[in-house]
Amino acid sequence: MFFHIVLERNMQLHPRHFGPHLRDKLVSKLIKDVEGTCSGRHGFVVAITGVEDIGKGLIREGTGYVTFPVKYQCVVFRPFKGEILEAVVTMVNKMGFFAEAGPVQIFVSNHLIPDDMEFQSGDVPNYTTSDGSVKIQKDSEVRLKIIGTRVDATEIFCIGTIKDDFLGVISDPGAAM
Amino acid sequence: MSGEEEENAAELKIGEEFLKAKCLMNCEVAIILEHKYEQIQHMSDGDPASQVSQVFEKSLQYVKRFSRYKNPDAVRQVRETLSRYGLAEFELCTLGNLCPDTSGEAFALVPSLHSGGRFQGDAGNDKIDKMLNDLSLIKKFE
Repeated sequence: MFFHIVLERNMQLHPRHFGPHLRDKLVSKLIKDVEGTCSGRHGFVVAITGVEDIGKGLIREGTGYVTFPVKYQCVVFRPFKGEILEAVVTMVNKMGFFAEAGPVQIFVSNHLIPDDMEFQSGDVPNYTTSDGSVKIQKDSEVRLKIIGTRVDATEIFCIGTIKDDFLGVISDPGAAM
Repeated sequence: MSGEEEENAAELKIGEEFLKAKCLMNCEVAIILEHKYEQIQHMSDGDPASQVSQVFEKSLQYVKRFSRYKNPDAVRQVRETLSRYGLAEFELCTLGNLCPDTSGEAFALVPSLHSGGRFQGDAGNDKIDKMLNDLSLIKKFE
């Protein structure tokens, strides 16, 4: 799920940037430092939408660098266990398939694919039902449930399932247009 | 960290911080990111694709692909409509993103709707059906 939240960060700035453009410099450095990063706690920082407040700077002894506490609003993407979302299949193999929902990778193991779907190898590996009516291959759109997240300091990885009611291939992606 | 291990969106256990935060539906994120992408395009002559992070790029593609509503007015209407039903932010956005067709599907996708006695019995089902119907009308007249 995407969230709009307020985060705080202590920014260190070299004294050569002090002057009328100090604020601009801080903001552009913030964007460069933070956008695109991922933390286990807040998820992926997709985009900074505004700076709420820049606090008083504190000179660090010995170096001359100054630390500013900066409060900013941003859009983050944070997956949760139990969340249901839509994703695009990126790779299929006999172990299961990988899908992507925005910045996050989700693996669905073949144990968590309905039993009536069989793996078919070939040029375009896929999972297909015995009657051939439903097929999961690269670029398919699926609706899945996240059942586990592995969160470390700089990455989030998810395990998903499509073995539940109302989950699986989105039958007609064209209908959503 | 014990709080994080217990997290479960199905029971709306997503941590204090995110529970209070504003959730965004995919269509809302699409509006924000597209606006930002255009801004970058205006500011720099070069290719904006080289200026944004991979996370931004992937998110933009994702929300463009999975936005149910394209028109900003429709997006606003969806949020207004859903917010009349006493939903938590997270529930509201899940429903707005997935657009279930029936109340059964809605309960399966957002199990936390069962909690708090908001949508109990047949009256509850009818309420959900009405809500979903309102959503499909917005979609139809978008």
